Amino acid sequence: MATTTATGTRPPLWRDVRVLRVAFQVAVLAAVVAFVSYLYDNLRANGVEFDFGFLDQQAGFGIAYTDLRPSDTVLDAMLTGLRNTITVALLGNVLTLILGTLVGIARLSGNWLVRRAAGVYVEALRNIPPLLVIIFVNSAALATLPPIQEANEFGGLLVVSVSEFGMVSPADGGNAGAFLVLLAAALAAALALGWWRRRVEERTGAPAHQWLWGGGLLLAVGVVGYLALGSPVVLSHPEVEGLSVVGGARMGLPYVSVLVGLVLYTSSHVAEIVRGSILAVPRGQSEAAGAIGLSSVQRLRHVVLPQAFRIATPPIINQFLNLTKNTSLGVAVAFAELMRVTNTVIGNGHPAIQAILVAMGLYLVVSLAISFVSNLAHHRLQLVER
Amino acid sequence: MPRRTRLWRLVGLLAAVGLFAAACSDDDGDEAADEDGDEEAAATGGGDGAAGGLLGEVQSRGTLQCGVNETVPGFGLVDEQGEFAGFDVEYCRAVAAAVLGDAESVEFTALDAETRFTALQAGDIDVLIRNTTWTSSRDGTEGSRFLVTTFYDGQGMMVNADSDFQSITDMDGTTICVLSGTTTELNLATAAAGAGVDITPLTFPDNEQLQPAFEAGQCQGWTSDKSQLAGVRSAWPEGQGGPDALVILDDTFSKEPLGPVVLDGDDEWADAVNWAVIATIQAEEFGITSDNVEEMTTSENLDILRFLGQPIPDEEDPEAEAAPFDPGLGLDPEFAVDVISQVGNYAEIYDRNVGPDTPLGLERGFNAQWEDGGLLYAPPYR
Repeated sequence: MATTTATGTRPPLWRDVRVLRVAFQVAVLAAVVAFVSYLYDNLRANGVEFDFGFLDQQAGFGIAYTDLRPSDTVLDAMLTGLRNTITVALLGNVLTLILGTLVGIARLSGNWLVRRAAGVYVEALRNIPPLLVIIFVNSAALATLPPIQEANEFGGLLVVSVSEFGMVSPADGGNAGAFLVLLAAALAAALALGWWRRRVEERTGAPAHQWLWGGGLLLAVGVVGYLALGSPVVLSHPEVEGLSVVGGARMGLPYVSVLVGLVLYTSSHVAEIVRGSILAVPRGQSEAAGAIGLSSVQRLRHVVLPQAFRIATPPIINQFLNLTKNTSLGVAVAFAELMRVTNTVIGNGHPAIQAILVAMGLYLVVSLAISFVSNLAHHRLQLVER
Repeated sequence: MPRRTRLWRLVGLLAAVGLFAAACSDDDGDEAADEDGDEEAAATGGGDGAAGGLLGEVQSRGTLQCGVNETVPGFGLVDEQGEFAGFDVEYCRAVAAAVLGDAESVEFTALDAETRFTALQAGDIDVLIRNTTWTSSRDGTEGSRFLVTTFYDGQGMMVNADSDFQSITDMDGTTICVLSGTTTELNLATAAAGAGVDITPLTFPDNEQLQPAFEAGQCQGWTSDKSQLAGVRSAWPEGQGGPDALVILDDTFSKEPLGPVVLDGDDEWADAVNWAVIATIQAEEFGITSDNVEEMTTSENLDILRFLGQPIPDEEDPEAEAAPFDPGLGLDPEFAVDVISQVGNYAEIYDRNVGPDTPLGLERGFNAQWEDGGLLYAPPYR
């Protein structure tokens, strides 16, 4: 009976939101399918075969500062470009978040000099196109660094030259796998221990030093395991051999220029977001925290920043995506990211439409992955809200 | 409303200037029409009925429209006096000398790489001589016809003079700077594979970014067309050691034949341009230069007399009036004399613009006569 009354009051079909919603989606889908099939038919009519067989052909070109050789396939080349894009995006986003937060807080500092310096940094970099920042960093490096034959070596820890950088890095000294498993187990145990100490602290009210207990366990297991397994991890020192850097973590100048340029540029935007978000936290919160005797650092750490980051997360995710897409500006300094490689692939006579489609698909995957992870973090912060 | 008044005044001024310009161009038009009439009369009077297509059009217009480069030293460049100069530019003059009898009757149009074929297709220029590589796809799809090659170029490698590299086989493990969007990158990979060395290309979008990277030593070599490398080297800043700081290796990785281009479908015009170019090559083979061309017109050698369009005594009937050899190209029989006396033979043009004594300092290489092991080989004048 109830259902009949409900249908009786239902609006006509063309005004029913539920019907319209579905109908609209079907219409959009149909339009997309029609458009794609139209393009496909046109390509066929013009004698352009629409297949992706070129991905398995030989690339015919190598990429500097990577392992790609001309005998590898086109797909390998594009994936190498993607890997370059991703490494800059991942490391760049982490560094941007750290630098941007520090500068954003500095802009609100009570210290005149710190506040002004941060202001100059933000205003200068925010108003320069990112391409210019990258080219400036690259030009500065070209003008000041020595060629690889006369590279500056800093005690086996760091090698600096105009074409390649080398940094000391951990490497497998035998049993590294076992050591990592051990560390992972120790980390899990330390987390459990920390959680237990926290429960104790909440129950008794007395400080239970959860970080000390957890960290101590991790350190103890690490030291004992390292000694027991006989130096499972060693340091790999960079050295100049011939015309390239051998050992350690190697980075080409284009990579460093793009990374530094984009971090400097994007963190100026993140700094403004952080500043705005902190200002958006009601003043009373900070004053109340002060009233219960928290120091200014404690006020920031426990009261202001957690609330500010909740506001800042969505725009910061935007900046992460911006940085990721801006890696394509690296073309100017010979950074072999995805777009650069795609252009070379097209220039070498491979089909342009398919190559661009592959590149678009890869960019989409990376951007969606970053949004997904960032949105997870965002939702977790949201849950804490009451 | 003072601003509006001022605006109207500006409009009025512009209108006046426009009218004046229109009046001037009208005058030009009349003059040109007059010239047309005269030349046409002369052409028909001379019994040269064949000149109907572009050849006739150029001859009646009295000037040659030539598309050239304005930025490549040695080939096509606007000099300090605002004059076009260079190897390609001189070939425009040679064509004008052959077709019109006056090497100075050329109007140059500076073109960039993207617009060069469009200008030819639109009829803005009669001939395109702008270091353009003859390739099958350009010949096939641009509606253009490539003529005799004036300059055999090839991709080469430039390195610092104080490096140990003598050849690409020494360059194992090096990084090489190269422009993107060119075929040079693939040519480099092929050359490296052929030489059995491991070379990584560092690709830049344009020379402005590439040059500082090469200067700073980010790459050990710079690969491009040899003529362009020579141009870059000739203009190398003194602060970086000048041109002597760089050497171009002998290796050549690709074929880049450069020559004049005309529109498809006018064989008569194509023949005229072709033989104007061939005349410079043949002149060098005969040893005829702009200095001795007058003496050569009285040479004993029948081949030379035929080439220079001089009267040739008939051996069977010495009494008959000697007539000049006319190959029927629609050109004056003495066109070769005009080309050589006003512009010069191939060696003179080469040495003036790109030869060893110029800033570019290019050896003849492939651009030597066939007798000297080069590729210049003029078809016989018969």
